[in-house]
Amino acid sequence: MIRQLPLILLLPALLVLVVWLDEPAPPADFTWSTSNDVFTLDPQRMSYITDMRIGSSLYEGLVRFDSEHGTFNPAAAASWNTSPDGLTWTFHLRPDGLWSDGMPVTANDFAWSWMRLLTPDTAADYSGLFFSIHGAEDCWKARTRQLEQFKNTDFDSEEAREAEAQRLWSEYEQQFANDVGIKVVDDHTLQIQLDRPVPWLLDLLAFAPASPVYRPAVEGWPKTDTAIPWHQRDMPTWNERELVELDPETGRLFQDHRWARPGRLIGNGPYILETWRYKRDLRLTVSPTWRDRDSIACRSITKRTIEDPNTAVLAFESGALDWLNGVNVDYRVDMIRQQQDGQRRDIHVVPAFATDFFSFNCRPTLPGDRFNPFADAAVRRAFTLAVDRDAIVKHVTRMNEPVATTLVPRGSIDGYESPRGLGLDPERAREELASAGWSDRNGDGLIENEQGELFPVTTLLYTTNTPRFKRMSIALREQWESALGIRIELVGKGSKFYRNDLREGDFMIARGTWYGDYGDPTTFLDLCRTGDGNNDRGFSEPEVDAALNAAAVETDPERRFKMLADVEQRLFTEDLPLIPICQVVDVHMYDPHRVSGLSAHPRQIQHLWHIAVEAPSGTERIAAP
Amino acid sequence: MLRLIGWRLLQLPLILLVIYTITFMLAWLIPGNPLEKPEGRRPPAEIVQAMESRYDFDNPMTFYFEYLGGITGAHWIANGAQGPVIDFGPSLRHENWTVNEILVSQLPVSIVLGLSAIMLACVIGILAGVLGSLRPGSWIDLVTLLIALVGISLPAFVTGTVLLVIFAVSLDLVPVGGWGGFSHILLPAIALSLPFAAYIARLVRTGMLEELQSDHVRTARAKGLPERVVIFKHALKNAFLPVLSYLGPATAAAMTGSFVVEKVFAVPGIGTHFVDAVLGKDLTLITGVVLVYSALLVLLNLVVDVLYQWADPRIKLG
Repeated sequence: MIRQLPLILLLPALLVLVVWLDEPAPPADFTWSTSNDVFTLDPQRMSYITDMRIGSSLYEGLVRFDSEHGTFNPAAAASWNTSPDGLTWTFHLRPDGLWSDGMPVTANDFAWSWMRLLTPDTAADYSGLFFSIHGAEDCWKARTRQLEQFKNTDFDSEEAREAEAQRLWSEYEQQFANDVGIKVVDDHTLQIQLDRPVPWLLDLLAFAPASPVYRPAVEGWPKTDTAIPWHQRDMPTWNERELVELDPETGRLFQDHRWARPGRLIGNGPYILETWRYKRDLRLTVSPTWRDRDSIACRSITKRTIEDPNTAVLAFESGALDWLNGVNVDYRVDMIRQQQDGQRRDIHVVPAFATDFFSFNCRPTLPGDRFNPFADAAVRRAFTLAVDRDAIVKHVTRMNEPVATTLVPRGSIDGYESPRGLGLDPERAREELASAGWSDRNGDGLIENEQGELFPVTTLLYTTNTPRFKRMSIALREQWESALGIRIELVGKGSKFYRNDLREGDFMIARGTWYGDYGDPTTFLDLCRTGDGNNDRGFSEPEVDAALNAAAVETDPERRFKMLADVEQRLFTEDLPLIPICQVVDVHMYDPHRVSGLSAHPRQIQHLWHIAVEAPSGTERIAAP
Repeated sequence: MLRLIGWRLLQLPLILLVIYTITFMLAWLIPGNPLEKPEGRRPPAEIVQAMESRYDFDNPMTFYFEYLGGITGAHWIANGAQGPVIDFGPSLRHENWTVNEILVSQLPVSIVLGLSAIMLACVIGILAGVLGSLRPGSWIDLVTLLIALVGISLPAFVTGTVLLVIFAVSLDLVPVGGWGGFSHILLPAIALSLPFAAYIARLVRTGMLEELQSDHVRTARAKGLPERVVIFKHALKNAFLPVLSYLGPATAAAMTGSFVVEKVFAVPGIGTHFVDAVLGKDLTLITGVVLVYSALLVLLNLVVDVLYQWADPRIKLG
């Protein structure tokens, strides 16, 4: 036994060594956590809110949203002006903007980054929002055609393939420079030409995907010591660019994502990326080139990833977190009650820029040519009139969310008054059903049509990722079955399966949630456009499309909002492609006596560099990795 | 012995190929598109199409063979020894990372946690088992049996949460979740070790009860050997054999199957991917994780077989 002792001790010794080498870094000035890791730090590819929060700390767009006043402040742009027709916007960049490697930020950086955003090869989720820039959509289509053509061409050799891919790309680059309304007037002046007025343009420009990125870093140009800005240098050849290539198979520009890593990532924002460990933590430190670097209270910020909602709350309770973004435990209802009773002060319910709803399948028939009762707007109105929203938010979700009868969250957009939709009225609901030909003809409590056929058993599709939607669906089933005399069958599916069914139109009623992207009603109302990529309901009403188009060209902002409110009114009193239930609320934890600078605005845009933390008195902080 | 090792190592690639094929087929059948988010705005159809062709998603056969080329090192040879030898490709959902990077950063975490838990389980399990077997039916025996029952039956999210509430929140002795340093390992290792410890305790107890009745133990006692030597040298050595064969799969399970413990203690290990990657249809990540796990399992079983022969030379293998 003694002889074998060293062997037996070897394993524990190795473990000790590994663990010892992995000692955590000292705690940051501010630590917060979310349930998911950041998906990407490439701003043009961003679509998740956490990614964008980190993104807006690493990069600075032309303007920034001011949560306090709901307006836009100068950021990388010092000032801007608009032509009277609202189609030409000129931005004057601040002369002292610097990249974190010390090079100046110029209009060329924005022009190149936006080309990146508007190129199909980047596959940016949000590129479509910027199609109102003159020529952008045509150029997008031209590139798509190019790639299609490349795919269908036979090449004699690999060299020919490569040469053709490069030729097509240069052609596209040239076309973009000539045709798209993004013009570099001089190093510090940038002009945007629009096809139609976009009153929310500043909102789009404050959006993380419109942030500038530094071309030499993104493309992996060879390192030089020159102080000449990249746009005045000789363009490196494709082989010299380490991180981009034209894929010989498809001709597409392929980006190696390793540019967005600590040590490589170069930004123009208040912070730089110090470390990023997958599903573990991400650490930011104040950028050495940021103009107001001395005014930032939190010199370092750590974002941890804690997937389990319960563990996240315990971590906050133990003092390891300053801010917990998203409290998703079942007992949060009790915590909120404690807050209301004055027993705690660290839990905060913030209405979000989002609405929970249930979608009807509005297509003429269901897959397999089955009969679809919801193709009839009267049936949709009846189902809506039978929903008791107050009961749902009081007794089912128990979160007392603001109930919603329309889609645009009330009070979230300055100057827009969301109209009233259909509320609870079971009597009228039965009348609507009768007008559509459905009533209880034989007294069995279930409704039939004139031929005596029963109303089809209605499937209600929900996602199983949280209990919230299951509970809502169960409540709706009870409300509908008792008020309307129909049968509901609940179908719970995982997100992927659910999403698949929505796309295929294979559902009758399905839950849904929509988060607005910019501060304009159209970010919600466009869901009801014929053929919109996110119109899961297959809803199509030419009059609604025409009204939305008419509002899009209206230049008077007040009249425009009135027109949109009329569309919304019509949608939610007559057409009802979906049943709005309530505004989504986000639940956060932080101690308001210690942490300042977090915004409670529904848009939930947080400027991390405004946050300040006072050291807690008495207790010593627990080291967090 | 060497023949056995050589033969098993030869089988390994074949086993992995079969596992790869089955995993690939199952993963391909998951509906949906990994490049699409489960909620929120949908990218335009052209984008989805472009991404699909980029990752050979439009044709399962191309994907299967392209990917096979990457993971067998065929691409590495074809590219003139550039890039990683074994390339599991980019993660489809966490696009900033390749599967190789994810495995390199997270596999050590799972291995350290798993090994710590197994060592802890051995110590607790053997002590409890031996104690219980000495006086069967006594209160010590009953208590250890009870603890073993609790250890096996209680799911880790219960024991884990209880441990967190007591030791991290109330007593403030260790941090809640995270990774790095001993203080972070302690609780997850205990939570993870409990079911294994319980199982080992029962194995040892049963084995010991049998051994203590056997002829050679009676002989040893008759020789006048001290009880300590009888128990640990003569009885336990034989009673330990079933534990040894259990340790192989148990170690593999502890190192990669700690999904719940990793979630509860926010440990950045690979266990979570077995569920998350499947839900997200992250084909490359699923394949990478499954293949690494399979290879580990095969190798650990081999190690156990070798140890078995070393512990009891009468056993002939191969």
